Amino acid sequence: MLRNRMMLVFSLLVLASMVLGACGTQTVQTVVVKETQVVVEKETQVVEVKETVESVVKETVMVPADVAPEMPERRAGFGGWLDEIVFSVVSASAAVTQIQAGAIDIYASGLSSNKLPEIQEAGFNYSKQNGLFYELTFNPVGPTFPATGKLNPFSSAKVREAINWLVDRGYINQEVYAGGALEKFLPITTQFPDYAELADVARKLEAKYAYNVEKADAAITAEMEAMGATKGADGKWMYEGEPVTLIFLIRTDSDGTRVPIGDYVSGQLESIGFTVDRQYKTSSEASPLWVGGNPSDGLWHIYTGAWSATVIDRDQGDNFQFYFSPSSAYGFSGLWQAYTPTEEFNKLCDDLAYNRFANLEERRVAFARALELSLEDSVRVWLIDGKNFAPYNTNVEVTYDLAAGIDGAQLWAYTLRFIDREGGLMKWGQPDLFVDPWNPVAGSNWAFDASAQRSTQSGGVMADPFTGLFHPLRIEKADVVVQEGLPVGATLDWVTLSFEPEIVVPDDAWVDWDAAAGKFITASEKFTQTQTAKVKSVTYYPADLYETIKWHDGSNISAADFVMGMIMTFETAKPESAMYDESRVSNLDSFMSVFKGIKIVSTEPLVIEYYTDAYQLDAEWNVTTWWPQYGYGEGAWHQIAIGNLADAAGELAYSADKADVKAIEWMSFIGGPSLEILGKYLDQAASESYIPFPDTLGQFITAEEAAARYSNLKTWYEDHGHYWIGTGPYYVDKAYLVEKTLVLKNNGYFTDAADKWATFGTPKIAEVEIDGAAQVTIGSEATFDVFVSFEGAPYAQADIKQVKYLLYNAQGEIVQVGEATFVADGQYSVTLPADVTSTLEAGSNKLEVAVVPLVVSVPTFFTFEFITAP
Amino acid sequence: MASEAQVLTPAVKKSSSSSTLVRVGKYTLVRLITLFVTVVIGVYLTILIANMGGYVDNIMRAEIQERITLQASQSQAWKNMDTETRQKFVEDKIALEVKRLGLDQPMVVRSFRYLFNALTLNLGRAQNMTSDSGSKTVRLIILERLPATLLLLGSANLILFFGSITIALSLSRRYGSFWDKLIITLSPTSAAPPWFYGIFLILIFAALLKIMPFGGLVDAPPPENRIEYLLSVLKHLVLPASALIISGLFLTIYNWRTFFLIYSSEDYVEMAKAKGLVSRDIERRYILRPTLPTIITNFALLLIGLWTGAIITETVFLWPGLGRTLFRAIGLYDIPVIVASTIIYAYLLAITVFLLDFLYALVDPRVKIGSGS
Repeated sequence: MLRNRMMLVFSLLVLASMVLGACGTQTVQTVVVKETQVVVEKETQVVEVKETVESVVKETVMVPADVAPEMPERRAGFGGWLDEIVFSVVSASAAVTQIQAGAIDIYASGLSSNKLPEIQEAGFNYSKQNGLFYELTFNPVGPTFPATGKLNPFSSAKVREAINWLVDRGYINQEVYAGGALEKFLPITTQFPDYAELADVARKLEAKYAYNVEKADAAITAEMEAMGATKGADGKWMYEGEPVTLIFLIRTDSDGTRVPIGDYVSGQLESIGFTVDRQYKTSSEASPLWVGGNPSDGLWHIYTGAWSATVIDRDQGDNFQFYFSPSSAYGFSGLWQAYTPTEEFNKLCDDLAYNRFANLEERRVAFARALELSLEDSVRVWLIDGKNFAPYNTNVEVTYDLAAGIDGAQLWAYTLRFIDREGGLMKWGQPDLFVDPWNPVAGSNWAFDASAQRSTQSGGVMADPFTGLFHPLRIEKADVVVQEGLPVGATLDWVTLSFEPEIVVPDDAWVDWDAAAGKFITASEKFTQTQTAKVKSVTYYPADLYETIKWHDGSNISAADFVMGMIMTFETAKPESAMYDESRVSNLDSFMSVFKGIKIVSTEPLVIEYYTDAYQLDAEWNVTTWWPQYGYGEGAWHQIAIGNLADAAGELAYSADKADVKAIEWMSFIGGPSLEILGKYLDQAASESYIPFPDTLGQFITAEEAAARYSNLKTWYEDHGHYWIGTGPYYVDKAYLVEKTLVLKNNGYFTDAADKWATFGTPKIAEVEIDGAAQVTIGSEATFDVFVSFEGAPYAQADIKQVKYLLYNAQGEIVQVGEATFVADGQYSVTLPADVTSTLEAGSNKLEVAVVPLVVSVPTFFTFEFITAP
Repeated sequence: MASEAQVLTPAVKKSSSSSTLVRVGKYTLVRLITLFVTVVIGVYLTILIANMGGYVDNIMRAEIQERITLQASQSQAWKNMDTETRQKFVEDKIALEVKRLGLDQPMVVRSFRYLFNALTLNLGRAQNMTSDSGSKTVRLIILERLPATLLLLGSANLILFFGSITIALSLSRRYGSFWDKLIITLSPTSAAPPWFYGIFLILIFAALLKIMPFGGLVDAPPPENRIEYLLSVLKHLVLPASALIISGLFLTIYNWRTFFLIYSSEDYVEMAKAKGLVSRDIERRYILRPTLPTIITNFALLLIGLWTGAIITETVFLWPGLGRTLFRAIGLYDIPVIVASTIIYAYLLAITVFLLDFLYALVDPRVKIGSGS
């Protein structure tokens, strides 16, 4: 009997523990990130062939075909800091636990804000990068939906605008994102250069649209009544005898945070009299309604939208058109076609999208006005700039990109190290790997694959992780010539910017590719009239480029690698080509719409001129280096050559589209069934000392060099089992595709000093303090001292773009905006003249200072409160 | 039976065996046709369900539009294109993708093509997925994951199956004992799925004690030596297999024990006990034998059940099995992969059901094929 009772008690305990265990919350976040595909990778060049062929051949270090070069050991102080990096797949939910257990040293993909407390509790370092940014998308059709005859309150811009006052962004940030995100009011990213540039304007608007339920209610009530709605006795809005019901599409998938956001906003709408029909849907369920459907059907009113920005975008002017105008890329959608921006706003959308300004100041003024109008329009109400956090152990150091984090930063492989030592094996975790086949021309564009690929590549320039500008990596310097009247400026001294009334494209510049003949077409051959361009960039490579830079298989880089890249820009999109790929045509078309020409001025040293009608606001962004970096990886000419043979033979295809059309395998240089086919063509190429596109590349490659290159690649394959090579600080030693494991080893050929990029340790986000009188007499002058520092040291004036101040009165209104006066490095002063303080009423006022550095695109704000008295 | 056989004339024998052949042949034919029709209906229903009756087309079109537009708008060239060029660029890209995925053809046409290809085992190419090695061939996508799934589910289920039968058999003869009551008490633990135990096992053995890996198939990097590789795989197998076994163990034992209990209390078993036969003989001859068809059925279904994988358990342990592949295919609406997985399971099930009829006849003399009894 006693035993039976014990059994009963025991079984009840087991059941209770299971129930309790099951009740525990567990967030398993699946992050599926596809890296944005850069549609136009390269453009063409023009070579003065006769003068350059010999020098190119001379510059190439010949490797005997029968002696395979051997990868040197890592030299202390050079190349990547580590001996080895092992990639493995780790789920996001287990990332922190695995670091704690020592299973991995770093989890390189960003975790959402709800993981931040766990990371901080574990005491790990972490990167802070852009996550998704969230908004409310409104259906603007109305005042009534044609299909249902029901009232749509959001047809009124004033109602939409009032939603800005109705939602407490700070509450959402604290409750949903554990305070780890940023409040967002504007269609630009809060920590990007445009925001920093317009910090004072942004703060003014943020103050204007700060949380204020009473104001929202009053504005909405006035508009609802104007539209014929009435409030019933129960406080609910009614229209033609029926409650005004808002259909709210709330996304349940993604990172899961849109559910609490949707619930909160629903609650706020219900609190002012709306009836809300909360429809919880996944992306695939909601998409056909909000973006694919007809908004006039009245099937929804609000949608919880979210977007992402994975690179630091230095020109977000086109965001207005993208989000608010029927001319948007989303113009195909019925929703965007229903947008009716005011004439002024619509013009600004287009002007900012195409940068139709004579100078940057004009653009600034337009931008400020567009920000204001976007809030008045409010077909989208912005809520949160999300942040993600990638944890790593305390003995690990790495530079992260403010937008792209660690795995998306070009710089990660150059800075990742153990703090206490050089060398060693770093264990790297990320959510997935080898998602799609790797090939440089049209292979995997998954962020999970690109993260590893980055370490195997170098490039002409290096992206600044804090500002989005570029620094020279392999190039030495560049000149940029811009047509007069275009709003372009330069920041860094490696690029020389000048303006000319007209930029003429030389007659011998390459302007197109003849796939049938395998030759470039020059400007004089294609056009009867002289061509002009809006921008000319001249890129200068160092004289020792061909000696110092080697591919991982030991082959020295040569001009042929550059020219192959140029050819491939055109080749696959030309119907005459054996490699013709229909899916590449639109890429080439868009490229050709701005491309004007390319010319290799010399090969010793390598100097390349490039002519285009495309221009960016930053001169640094107008430099086109023509480094043999294809859209999806670096490529050596001999590596691409065997891929070309396989593609032309119809046995493999570079792109997924062509592979599907031809029912053949998608080419992979890293593993799988492609390797055998590539091996066959490598043998064929080696036996023939094959020179691809002989009429063009034959001027840059000798048969001996071709033989040596193929021999190197063959040896490489025998040692490592794949054909993925680059010039980056690490090389792929072994790739285990099924096991989802990758072993990267240090590239002994890499010549750069390991600490070359050490200055990009921590983002130099300014720390600000204000000192001044706590009480100011109305009508008297007041002075405040502003101290700007970083890690305790004064912030150099040379690194500061501007220090602005905003004066708020007791009602929270901005009464003055001005520039602080420089005193010394790290010290500024703000003086409020007597006539300004005389406008203040007695009470509590605020002085806010916005510090905008040059070396990081994150402005710092600091507020000082003072009392005014008569 | 033997005496009856002695009195049969050769003509009767011939006639009898001939009628048996006809009966078996007829039964086989009818059974095969029935099973084939069942498979056809099942697979076509799967195609319709996977396509949500054609609604998936809308979802995929919207997804394509969003994806292509976003990709295009984030390119450098985009900023310098005029509106018309942009729209043409995006429209061309969308049209190509729609064509690539076959969405330019009516759903009905595609559904019958999927069905025909499936029935002829022409598994074709995946729409969005690639195998780990980068192939879009559905056959390779499935074959690549099959060994890992067979290893995990095979080892776990075989241990579970034979272990539970052995224990159940023993318990069936110890009705009311401490161990019997313990198993009954613990049987509700099987209400929790394997991944539930998996998380606990990971926390205890990987995170806390650090003696087992968190997941995956093998250490990173995988050992070069084949024996070390095998040992590493076995080490990684322990936790997920344990999770599967623990989850099912007590309930399975309880089920079998109850099943055997019915047979254990039969008169002929009591008689055998009274005769003083040893326990092993009683189990083997008097309990196991009459229950053999049921055991075989369960075993056969267990074997084909391996094909489906264990979706969440594989996900928790990052085990590269078929379950995760199928799960991903469903998420991506990759119809060819879903259909391929279904048709193979359907064929395996049909073949198993078909063969079981014959096996029953072999192991149980009371069963006659096509006799209608």
